[in-house]
Amino acid sequence: MKKSLKVERSDVLRSCGFDSLTAGPSLPHGRDLSFAPADRQAAGPHDGAQFQTFRPSDFQTFRPLTMDARSILHLDLDTFFVSVERVRDSRLNGRPVIIGGSSDRGVVSSCSYEARSFGVSSAMPMKMARAMCPEAVFIRGDMEMYTKYSRMVTDIIADKAPLYEKASVDEHYIDLTGMERFHGCAGWSHELRDTIIRETGLPISIGLSVNKTVSKIAAGEAKPNGEREVAQQQVLPFLDPLSIRKIPMIGQKTYHTLRSMGISTIHTLRVIPAEMLGSLMGQNGMEIWKKANGIDNTPVISYSEQKSISTEHTFDRDTTDTVMLNQMIVSMTEKLAYELRRQEKLASCLTVRIRYSDFDTHTLQQRVPYTAFDHVLISEAQSLFRRLWQRRMLIRLIGVKVSGLVRGVQQLNMFEDTPEMVSLYMTMDRLRGRFGRHAIRRAAGVMTAAERSERELRKASELLAEKSRMEERLRGWRY
Amino acid sequence: MKFVVSSTELLGHLQAISRVISTKNTLPILDNFLFNISGNDLEITASDLESTLITRMHLDNITGSGTVALPARILLDTLKEFSEQPLTFDINPDTMAVVINSENGRFSIVGQNGIDFPVLPVIKKEKRFGFNVPSEVLLTGISRTLFATADDELRPVMGGILVEASTTNLTFVASDAHKLVRYQRSDAKADDNASFILPKKPASLLKNILPRESGVVSVEFDDRNAFFNLSDYRVVCRLVEGNYPNYNSVIPKNNPRKVRIDRLEFYNILRRVSVFSNQASNLVKLQFTPNQITVSAQDVDFSISAYERHKCLYEGDDMEIGFKSVFLIEILSNIASQDVVIELADPTRAGLFLPSETSNEDEDLLMLLMPMMINA
Repeated sequence: MKKSLKVERSDVLRSCGFDSLTAGPSLPHGRDLSFAPADRQAAGPHDGAQFQTFRPSDFQTFRPLTMDARSILHLDLDTFFVSVERVRDSRLNGRPVIIGGSSDRGVVSSCSYEARSFGVSSAMPMKMARAMCPEAVFIRGDMEMYTKYSRMVTDIIADKAPLYEKASVDEHYIDLTGMERFHGCAGWSHELRDTIIRETGLPISIGLSVNKTVSKIAAGEAKPNGEREVAQQQVLPFLDPLSIRKIPMIGQKTYHTLRSMGISTIHTLRVIPAEMLGSLMGQNGMEIWKKANGIDNTPVISYSEQKSISTEHTFDRDTTDTVMLNQMIVSMTEKLAYELRRQEKLASCLTVRIRYSDFDTHTLQQRVPYTAFDHVLISEAQSLFRRLWQRRMLIRLIGVKVSGLVRGVQQLNMFEDTPEMVSLYMTMDRLRGRFGRHAIRRAAGVMTAAERSERELRKASELLAEKSRMEERLRGWRY
Repeated sequence: MKFVVSSTELLGHLQAISRVISTKNTLPILDNFLFNISGNDLEITASDLESTLITRMHLDNITGSGTVALPARILLDTLKEFSEQPLTFDINPDTMAVVINSENGRFSIVGQNGIDFPVLPVIKKEKRFGFNVPSEVLLTGISRTLFATADDELRPVMGGILVEASTTNLTFVASDAHKLVRYQRSDAKADDNASFILPKKPASLLKNILPRESGVVSVEFDDRNAFFNLSDYRVVCRLVEGNYPNYNSVIPKNNPRKVRIDRLEFYNILRRVSVFSNQASNLVKLQFTPNQITVSAQDVDFSISAYERHKCLYEGDDMEIGFKSVFLIEILSNIASQDVVIELADPTRAGLFLPSETSNEDEDLLMLLMPMMINA
C-alpha cells in the first residue's frame, strides 16, 4: 500500500515539472549549511560567492526561470526581543530571560533558550512563567526599541535583496529565484546572514528552499542561529519525519484535532487524501494538505498595505465600572483616530471587542462613511459598546479597531463640519505632532483627579478587606 | 380603433418619453406605453410610478376612441428600423389585438387593457401652487445644478434639486454636502414664495425634453406632486418630501482672498495634475502666492507627484488649500465664462467659484466647494 503510494507521488511530481534533471546536484538529506568560513573556499560551485568560470556542463544544472523552480529564503531572528535586550546589556547573556507584561495577567512575549529549558514558552501567562523559572530576569519590553532593531535588519536586507517581504517584526522572506546562476543562493544567503549578525549583533536563522512554507520550516529547524537548505528533491524527505506542529498554519486547535485522529508526522498528514482533510476542515484542510506536501505558491510580496489599526486593553482587575470603561473607549478611539489622521488614512469600519472575566469574547462592528474624525468614531464606538455589553458580568478586556482603510484626507461636509471644529482638530494634531500623542486629549477620555483618587481609595480598601479575610482564614487553619 | 401615423414622428415621441421606463419594474404594465385616443389626439404615456411622461400627437386620421397599453420594447425596436412611411394601427377593443400595417408588411402584437395602467395623481386644490417659466430658464437651471445632487439614500432631500420661486426670482439649488450650486434668475418670477424638491430622475428627463420646445412651461405643484406642462409634453413627478437644509447659512459671506484665473487653463492644469493624485482621495493642493497659483498632487503609494504653476490675479498673503480634484473639475466644466473668480477665507472654509462675467444680466451663478482637511 505504502509502496504504491510512493510511486504515485513521484509520478505526480514529475508531471508537475519537479523533474530531478532540473534540480541542482543532489545534496545529502537536508544538509546543514552552518559551516566555518574556512570551509567555504572548499565548498562546491553553488556555495561560493566568488566568481567562477562556467563549464558547458554546468548549464545543465541551472533551473529554468519558472514558478515551480523558485528559491525562497526565510530569515527568522532568534528570540528576537531577548536578543535585542542582550545586545543592550551583555550581562543577560547565558541567563534565562523572560519578556512580557509585568503584571500577573500579562503573557510571555519572548523568552530565551535558557528559560525554555525550564518549560517556559511564549504566550504563557506571566504568573506561570514566574512559578516555573523564578530565577529568570523579567523584562517588561520596549516595543519601540525592538521596532528600531527590526528596521535595522530590514534596511540591511532592502540594501541587498531584490525582492523581500517583511512578514513580521522578526521575520523576512526573500525571493532569490534566478540568482542561482550568478551568485549561488546558498552562498549569498550565508553572506547576508553574516552581514546581519555583524552589523546588528542579533542571532538569526535562515532557511532556503523552494517556497515560503518549506523555507520557514527549514529556518525553524535551523534554530538557534543556524542555516538550512532544502533543495527541491529533498523537500519531502525533509518534511516527512517532522511533527505536524511545524507547519505554520497548524495551531493549538488544529493540532489537537489532527492528533486525535492519530496524525503526528507530516508524512502521515501528507498521505491522507486531500478530500478527506477538506471535508474535515474545509478550505483550510486543503491548504494544510498542500503545505504538508511542500506545495505553496504564495508569492513574496514586497509591500502589503496595512489593513487595520487597533488597540486593546486588559484591565488589572476585571471591572464593571461603566464610567471608566467609557473613558477607556473614548481615549482608545481618540488614539486610533489620531493615528488615522497622522497616516493620512480614512476608515470605513469600526469594531469593538470585549472579553468577560470568563474569557467569553464578543465583537461587534459597524460600517461608517469614510472618516478620521474622533467625534464620529467615538459616538459609534460608544453605541457599539453599549450594544455589546449584554451580560451582567465583569469585563476583562476591551478593544477598538478601525479597518477598511484608504489613503486620503477628510473631505469636509458643509452642513456637519464647522470651520471651528476643523481648526480645533488641526490645532490639536499640530500640538500632538510637536509634543507627543498625550500632549492634548479629550477630557472625556481622562480620569479627573477626584475620580482617580476615589478609584485608588476603593482599590486600597478592597485590598485591605481581602487581606484581613485571608488572615482570618489563616488563623482558622492554625487552630 | 384605428389611426394612421408617420413612423418617424411616432418614434421621435416614443423615444422622448421612453427614458422614464425603468428596466426592473415592479408592475409589468409599466413596461408598456399607454395609447389614449380621443377626438383627433393621440396621447402616449410612459411611467415608472414616480415619474410619468406624456406626449400628445395631433393626427388627422383617427376612428374610434379608447385606451390600449402596448409593449414598449417591441414597439421601439421595430419603429427604429422603419424608413419614413405611414403606419396604420388597427386595434380590436375586445381582444386588444393590435395590427400595424406598414407599406408592405403587417405586424401583430397583443396589447393590454389600458385600465390597468396607473392613473395620474391630481394636484390638491387647497395646496396648489403654480407659475410660468420660460423653458430656457428651466433647462439652464436644471442643467447647471443637476451634477451637484447627492446619491445619498440616507438623505433623500439632497438627491434632488431645490426649486424656489419667489416674487423677485427663481432659484435652483443642488448640493451633496461637499459641493453646492445656486443658480438664480431674476427674469422668472411667481406670485408668491413657494418651493419644491425635484428628484434627480425627472430632472434629467426634463433636461432631455425641454430642448424640444421653446416657449413657456407652466409648473403646477402641491406637497406631493409636480406637473410640468409643455405644449406637446407633460412631465408629472412625485416630489421629494422633507425640508431642504438651510443652504444660505453655509455660503461664507466674508472672503478676503479673491483669485481670478483663466478657467480653461485652470481646468486643463487640473486634468493633468490630478492624474498624479491619490486615486482614493483625489486630493489636489492649490497654493496661492501673489499673482501665481501652484497646483500640486502626489500619490505616496506609487511615489508619483506633479505640480504646475500658472499666473493668476491674486493679491494677499500666501495660502494653501486642498480640494478633491474631481469636484473641482466638475465645477469648472459647469461654468461658462472665460475667467473664473475663486473667493476664499481660510483652508477650513468653503471656496466660492463664480463666473467672472456673464452674458445674461438676469443670471446669478454661485458654486461652492468644501475643502479637504490637509495638515498645513
